[in-house]
Amino acid sequence: MIQLIFFGFIGLALLAALGFLMRRGGARPEGDSGVLLDARKALDALQGGLLPEELVHRIFAKDDLNYVSSTSSKRVRDLFIAERKKIAIAWIGQVRCQIASLKRFHVGAARSYAQLGLRTEVELACRFTALLWGCRALQLAVSVAGPYAAPRMVGATATAAARICTVSEQSLAFLNPVQLKPIANNSLSS
Amino acid sequence: MHSGSAVKRMDVDQARKDLCQRTLSDIQRPLDRLIYLASMRDYNTGVYHHDGLASRFGEEVACEALADCHREAFCELVICPLDELVTQLDGYRSSTHTTPREFLTAWGRLEPYRVAVPVETDPLSAEFLFSNFKIALAVLEARLDSRPEGLAA
Repeated sequence: MIQLIFFGFIGLALLAALGFLMRRGGARPEGDSGVLLDARKALDALQGGLLPEELVHRIFAKDDLNYVSSTSSKRVRDLFIAERKKIAIAWIGQVRCQIASLKRFHVGAARSYAQLGLRTEVELACRFTALLWGCRALQLAVSVAGPYAAPRMVGATATAAARICTVSEQSLAFLNPVQLKPIANNSLSS
Repeated sequence: MHSGSAVKRMDVDQARKDLCQRTLSDIQRPLDRLIYLASMRDYNTGVYHHDGLASRFGEEVACEALADCHREAFCELVICPLDELVTQLDGYRSSTHTTPREFLTAWGRLEPYRVAVPVETDPLSAEFLFSNFKIALAVLEARLDSRPEGLAA
């Protein structure tokens, strides 16, 4: 009986491995332009709008809270906390949404373009999963305890997201016009 | 040899420099610059107009230079600390020659800052600035309420 269960497990593991390898091999070489465009947009939104250090610092800056607390009434302080909480939750939600979009790109199409190794892919998958869970945890912390509940988590989330952006940018580098220039020149000369 | 877009970019940079030297250098506060540059934009088309700049550099280059400066003023304002925004808003209010109460009521109701942001601004940054304006107005209102009647007018 134990032997049967043991071999059953081995069989299942082999099937899972086979399924994984088939999925890896099944990526269309021409890729999906929609996923590519979404990934490019997500990358631009993260790097241009959501992750600049100064903006993240300003959203979660405690000096603004200190200023409001020292100069205004409780009503204004409450308004400030409510407004910052709303913005902080929106920021985390946006980061999570754009990271999920980059994850879709990596899961579905990155292999076709970037020729990533299995190890890099597994590493990336772990990073994506950790970051998406991290965003959920941060969102929960801010919802329950306010925008200043977890400053270290905010920093860690922004850093992790920036790292993922760097990797994704390398995967999407072939879309840069500078790299496309020689191709255009070749086709013009021929 | 330069490509067309590179030449145009150089023209835009030159126009931008010209705009900064001749006009924007007189407008110290980023908030005033944001409102001034937003007023240069046609609400129906989204195109910026500045006669002097257009006569020197052409309509298209002038428009891009104004849009660049508008984005720059927005970026400066969105990361400025709240106390600074309150000071800028109070300074702007003084320059309009309205009473504090009138100004706060109008800005609270009409929220004119919502139409002052550049196009294609990241929505979260825009919302963050609007939120800061709301708080800054509340701070000024609380300050006004705490003053004796005669001074508040």
